[in-house]
Amino acid sequence: MATRTQAQIEVWGTIVYLEIWSNTVDELRLKEGIAEVEHFYREVDEVFSTYKENSVISRLRRIEISIEDCPPDVIEVWNLCAYARELTEGSFDPWCVEGGFDPSGYVKGWAADRGIGILQAHGAEHIQINAAGDLALAGGLVDGKPWSIGIRHPEEAHTVVKVFEITDGAIATSGTYERGAHIRDPHTGMIAIGARSASVVGPDGGLADALATALVVSGKDGAAWFLKPELLEYQCWVIERHSDSAWGFDPRSIG
Amino acid sequence: MKRGLLIATGTIGGLGVVFAITPPQFGGGTLGGGTLGGGTLGSSTGALSSGTTASASPITSTTPTPIASSTPTHSSAGTTPVPKSTKKSATKKATPKATPKKTKTTGTGTKATGSTPTPVASSAAPTPTKATSSGSFTGSAVSTRYGTVQVQITVTNGKITAARGVQMPARDFRSQQISQQAEVYLVQETLAANSANIQGVGGASYTSQGWQQSLASAVAQAGL
Repeated sequence: MATRTQAQIEVWGTIVYLEIWSNTVDELRLKEGIAEVEHFYREVDEVFSTYKENSVISRLRRIEISIEDCPPDVIEVWNLCAYARELTEGSFDPWCVEGGFDPSGYVKGWAADRGIGILQAHGAEHIQINAAGDLALAGGLVDGKPWSIGIRHPEEAHTVVKVFEITDGAIATSGTYERGAHIRDPHTGMIAIGARSASVVGPDGGLADALATALVVSGKDGAAWFLKPELLEYQCWVIERHSDSAWGFDPRSIG
Repeated sequence: MKRGLLIATGTIGGLGVVFAITPPQFGGGTLGGGTLGGGTLGSSTGALSSGTTASASPITSTTPTPIASSTPTHSSAGTTPVPKSTKKSATKKATPKATPKKTKTTGTGTKATGSTPTPVASSAAPTPTKATSSGSFTGSAVSTRYGTVQVQITVTNGKITAARGVQMPARDFRSQQISQQAEVYLVQETLAANSANIQGVGGASYTSQGWQQSLASAVAQAGL
């Protein structure tokens, strides 16, 4: 019989929820994995938090250090952010933020992915990591079915407006509702007006996170990004800003 | 580009993926049932069936030439992206591993103790001790930095079918945000507890210690 292990990690000013099912690995081993994930997430907080004065990112923002001096994870995220900026034609641009480089729009999804890797290394087979609304998933459910993940309505917290079925991959959502209107259009410097909420499903959590943020900036103009060969495995679902309607695009649907 | 957009728009129209957002409410009784999967939700087209997590793309080949036209408002010239090889830096990492002292960053922080994850292992088939308990149960009122939190759950045949905050902090805008987000988190928990046909909720979630405490006492009252 499969064992379910759950955990909550209070970190990054929010909660990360982990759910692991395993047919083979014992609970102790899974808990070791969870402990390692927690350790990693606390480290991510210490390194990437823009709220912590002494974090690497804060020091980078103050130009006390340069990117060459940063730990490998920061350099990795820096490069991945650059890649995401390129794919979104500048609509995701963590360099174009008041106060300097702010990869917050990438790190949550990226860290969720890394958590999956850590747990898999400890023998976990079926994993859900919900990093405050951005999810990374692996292995589907114990019975072989995919995880069913609901997307909440931007204003009505208890209402699920869409369900995605995901076996392995990530789903990230950005919107103007999370922490007020916190997404800015890098092109104009104004508050983003492209969409009220955007969700992206794809293999890489960090990139999905960045794409979702970029879609809130660009709205329907962003649909074209998903025709790029690099994004063939990604799909989006976007709630319009002014009407209670949504649109979605899955490049695989056009063969 | 324009053609791509046309294709995109055409496909969207053709698929009929434009939904009116009139989804099911998490009202009493519907949560544990099957209403979430079908009905007004539209078809779920996830289809991410096999791919493995990690086909991000070769970072090494990335040359993030600061796209001049699209980034007119660089706030600090010193931080234009310069791709660095991870390998190179690994050798000279001056890793300022920030303060080992763990300062808790939770927005609610009623407790100062370093929060540890609370792994709860349970067997696959959760068997509520009182499968027959039904009714409304109101948890204790818990005061937090943002105000008082009190949770009421509705239980039908031993399952939580609805949960709402009877008292939620709403002193200011920020608190309201947190209130909303806290409720989302509960949905996740409630759904998991009921083995409903959604295993997770995306979109933003936040929880407060107060919410959890009040919920726990409501659950205890319900004998679940």
